Amino acid sequence: MRYLVRRVGFLLVALWAALTLNFLIPRLMPGNPAESMMAKFHGHVNPAAIKALEVAFGINNHQSLISSYFEYINNTLHGNLGLSLSYFPIPVSTVIMRALPWSLGLVGVSTILGFVIGTALGAVAAWRRGGLLDSVLPPVFIVISAFPYFWIGLLSVWFFALTLGWFPILGGYTETATVTWSFSFVGDILWHAVLPAFTILLTSIGGWILTMRNNMITVVAEDYVKMARAKGLKPRRILWQYAGRNALLPNLTGFAMSLGFVISGAILVEYVFNYPGLGFTLLQAVQNEDYPLMQSLFLLITVAVLVAIFISDIATALLDPRTRSSS
Amino acid sequence: MREKFKGGLAALALALVASTCVLAPSVAGASGQVPLNLDNEQGMEWACSFNPFLPTSSPYSVGVTYETLDFIDALQNAKVTPWLASADAWSNNDKTLTFTIRSGVKWTDGKPFSAADVAYTFNLLKKYPALDSNAVWSVLSSVKQVGSDKVVFNFSTSAVPYFYYVADQVPIVPEHIWSKIANPVTDPISSPVGTGGYIMSKCTPQNIQWTSNPHYWQPGLAQVKTVNMPAFLSNNTANEYLATGQSQYGAQFIPNIKSYYVDKKAGNSYWFPPVANVSLFPNLTVAGLSDVAVRQAISYGIDRAAVSKIGEYGYEPAASQTGIVAPTFSSWSSSTAMKSAGSGYDPAKAKALLKADGYKLDSSGVYAKNGKQLAFTVITNGGYSDWIASMQVLSTQLAKIGIKITVDPITSSNFYADVYAGKFQLAYNVETGGPSPFYEFRQWLYSKNSAPIGQAAASNWERYNSPAVDKLLNQYGATTNVATQHSIMNQLQTIMVQQAPVIPVLEEVDWFQYNTKEFSGFPTAKNPFAQPALYNEPDWGVVLLHLKPLS
Amino acid sequence: MRFLSSLGGALARASKFIRRDKKAAAGSIILFVLLLITAFPSWFAPDNPSAEIYTPGVGLSWSHLLGTTSFGQDVFSQLIVGTRQSVMIALIVGLLSTILSVGIGITAAYSGGMVDDALSLITDVVLVIPTFPLIIVITAYLKAASFWLMVFVLVITGWSYGARQLRVQALSLRNRDYLLAAKARGESSWYVICVELIPPMTSLIVANFLSSALYAVLMAAGLQFVGLGNINTESWGTMLYWAQNNEALSIGLPLWALAPGVAIAILGSALALLNYAFDEIANPALRPVSARRLKKAEA
Repeated sequence: MRYLVRRVGFLLVALWAALTLNFLIPRLMPGNPAESMMAKFHGHVNPAAIKALEVAFGINNHQSLISSYFEYINNTLHGNLGLSLSYFPIPVSTVIMRALPWSLGLVGVSTILGFVIGTALGAVAAWRRGGLLDSVLPPVFIVISAFPYFWIGLLSVWFFALTLGWFPILGGYTETATVTWSFSFVGDILWHAVLPAFTILLTSIGGWILTMRNNMITVVAEDYVKMARAKGLKPRRILWQYAGRNALLPNLTGFAMSLGFVISGAILVEYVFNYPGLGFTLLQAVQNEDYPLMQSLFLLITVAVLVAIFISDIATALLDPRTRSSS
Repeated sequence: MREKFKGGLAALALALVASTCVLAPSVAGASGQVPLNLDNEQGMEWACSFNPFLPTSSPYSVGVTYETLDFIDALQNAKVTPWLASADAWSNNDKTLTFTIRSGVKWTDGKPFSAADVAYTFNLLKKYPALDSNAVWSVLSSVKQVGSDKVVFNFSTSAVPYFYYVADQVPIVPEHIWSKIANPVTDPISSPVGTGGYIMSKCTPQNIQWTSNPHYWQPGLAQVKTVNMPAFLSNNTANEYLATGQSQYGAQFIPNIKSYYVDKKAGNSYWFPPVANVSLFPNLTVAGLSDVAVRQAISYGIDRAAVSKIGEYGYEPAASQTGIVAPTFSSWSSSTAMKSAGSGYDPAKAKALLKADGYKLDSSGVYAKNGKQLAFTVITNGGYSDWIASMQVLSTQLAKIGIKITVDPITSSNFYADVYAGKFQLAYNVETGGPSPFYEFRQWLYSKNSAPIGQAAASNWERYNSPAVDKLLNQYGATTNVATQHSIMNQLQTIMVQQAPVIPVLEEVDWFQYNTKEFSGFPTAKNPFAQPALYNEPDWGVVLLHLKPLS
Repeated sequence: MRFLSSLGGALARASKFIRRDKKAAAGSIILFVLLLITAFPSWFAPDNPSAEIYTPGVGLSWSHLLGTTSFGQDVFSQLIVGTRQSVMIALIVGLLSTILSVGIGITAAYSGGMVDDALSLITDVVLVIPTFPLIIVITAYLKAASFWLMVFVLVITGWSYGARQLRVQALSLRNRDYLLAAKARGESSWYVICVELIPPMTSLIVANFLSSALYAVLMAAGLQFVGLGNINTESWGTMLYWAQNNEALSIGLPLWALAPGVAIAILGSALALLNYAFDEIANPALRPVSARRLKKAEA
């Protein structure tokens, strides 16, 4: 019970810190979105109209920092995220909801796949110590995990898309295709998702394989595994239901965190592949100085991570009694 | 179990890949005709807002759906083509402008268009200043409908050049719809109703589709039935779209355009007409840069052709210190000013100018006077890699004449903040310009456009202040006499050469790629009937009207 | 004196392993070569990396080992000169980050109570804040995109994971008998920390250093790739930025885009291999075992 209270307390403090940081950073930085907008559309906005734009965007309205802060907290808690500046006058929530499915789809699925496949491979590699899997996988994946993953993206674009022509070069979908839930459109999305998903999988799977393998090796050396073998249980059963389950525990926290980081972690992959997800939207928001959108995205990412960690902590506490009694 | 697991996984993967390869995406197209696919990368998906007064959405509705009183072509020396207005006349010492409004025009919802809509539109801008993106009410005093087909504009001050903003840049909206909108500043206008040749038929974040208006008031135009404008998140995707032949009309910056685009398919062509100057803005309050000799030396020390070739693949022609963009505005060029500008690149003359002004080369090879080196930082937009490359070339060149330049690329948002506030020594940037050189000159040189260092100035970032020049600019603004206008522009060009308050480096071009095999009617150097870039309003709408499908 | 000798003992064991373990040997050799290039780039680079005077768009050739860029610069020279920035960022961020992690992690574990709670809270909060977006926001807005700014940002966002790990290990060591004995003897806290607590954690600290260094290299490359680094200096990430913006892959200059990535991968692999080797020192069970010996043991 105390454990639960501590975790909730931590969650609230972290949330408050994130909100405040979120509020302060854009305000401490120089620059003015109206001017940035003016420059972006140079050729079609009379420079003298800058004041009018500022009024429309609601900046420079001479509110004190403190009252803006409380207004911001109040608005955020009520879900009023404001109007986006670069997509003016579309609301921020609409922009986010458009990009969310792409991020969840691509990065979420790739992360889960990577975790499942990587953990399984790592467990098997550890079980068959000295075997082919065990001696080949670790060094290969050490090297691969050291590659900047956006570069692997570039490489796969060059090889599979430009040279071989098997997959489209960039994007989430064919631009002029009819956007309906037809079989062909879904197929189009999948076709475009293969290369980015492959990139994410390749770079993340190494980590799962290695940590799972290391954990398994430690667990396999434990007495109860020897006992299980002595009792004559089937090796497969020991691998998955005894050793595997226990070796998995430390990985769960890592997995939860990586799910939370699904959005921010894919920024560069989305950039290289022009995938219209949240990471890319954040990058654009920063470049366009779109405060409301930037803040909301940053907040969304932080909340996602916090919630994921919280859930994993609860899950760990439920699954592993030892954590509940730590000092 | 392991084998079964692995086998299952392999089967799943195979199935996924197979299904994606087999299923071909369907491409939308109406009425059997090949749709025109545009290539206009904006770095984001579409907001699907078509409010013609907001700079974030006007590029997608002004010209295509909403139209203006006249059409003014910058590439034909500001030639005026009557559009929604059939005639116009100045009176009252060029302080009153009367437009005769065309009859027989209908809105796309079938209701008739009239002078009332014109008067309503302009008074809407007065009521909501946030919509007045051309600041027309800074010079207007009243706009009234007179009779059934005339609208009278009264100016509070002589502002003849504002004709361009009033006639060519303000889209006319229907009173019967807009009078019912609660807040026109925040209304996205997702179903725009205009008088134009194209109706916005479908909008998703990924693609905007227009279909031609069957009741358009100009017969024989808008022959292309379907137009698509897909959203691209970066230059790379957009360029691929053009290179693979999926788009027939683009507005892209393409590196190595010959091998990347032109050679790929028959009919792939490009044309980059220059329209304004990308210049070095020296902060005239900074020591060293306040020295005329230094500024002139900088101008003579830049090998503009080399900057263009290395930094911009040669796409942007070298600019002239006179400030006149050639060949677009060559009819305004003053031969006296051109003669005194000389050959443009003259490092020997640059060094001579510095020496004559009392500068001496110091131990590190940089000119200095009274212990102060000629060492400056130039800020440029960090989002434009070609500008950064150009500045790097420029800095190597100026090093040869003993001026040390450090290139500082700044993120866009900070860059504009710094430029407007004057927080720089040198800045590399471009002004908005207009259909004749006067607009750019006024933006450069008119002291009231500027502001003290630390406050935002809309233009004239170098903080130039000359009462004589202000007087010339105001004289130009008060007359419609062409001979007077030319005489004033000649004097301004001589001042540009003699004082070098702004140093034009390259000419900013319209990015334009097109394929002549599927569609004809594109503007070319021989027939420059409109500015071709897809980001110019209302010009790109005019281009669309003149295109014809070939198959 | 005793601190030095126990530290020396730990390092001696480590170096024995480097010689025996193939992975560690490979990693060390690569790192040594890169350090050499960092110190003396002019020995290896044939041309001036920023001079735009060569024929642009040349592919693999004898005069230009990796071809030229579309601006006419020699790719190979850029690669050599750019080594310095990446190696320096890796080492400096690794070092500062580790010092911060060690300081905070061990202080928290050793002090316990309120201090521990407060430091743990700070560590966890910093841990959950998404680093890459934060770094983008900060570097996009602060004026000078300089080397030291990037170091600063990477250090303050990168120390928390290591601190957590070190705290856990320090906690498990804290209650061991020999430490309690030292305290009973009346030794000062500093002595206990430096001589008895830190040396057994050496391999974990070194592993921490290596993973921080790896993190720094990849993050810095990512930031430079997006254009948030210092575009004026030569570095591998900046080469990728220029290659990407000039569509090197599509205009037939793939080496320009691929070579810097390979270089980053080489540096990263060296760090990762050494990291892996140190994992094995810390946990003997992870050391490589040959299949034949295993079969013998099971028989």
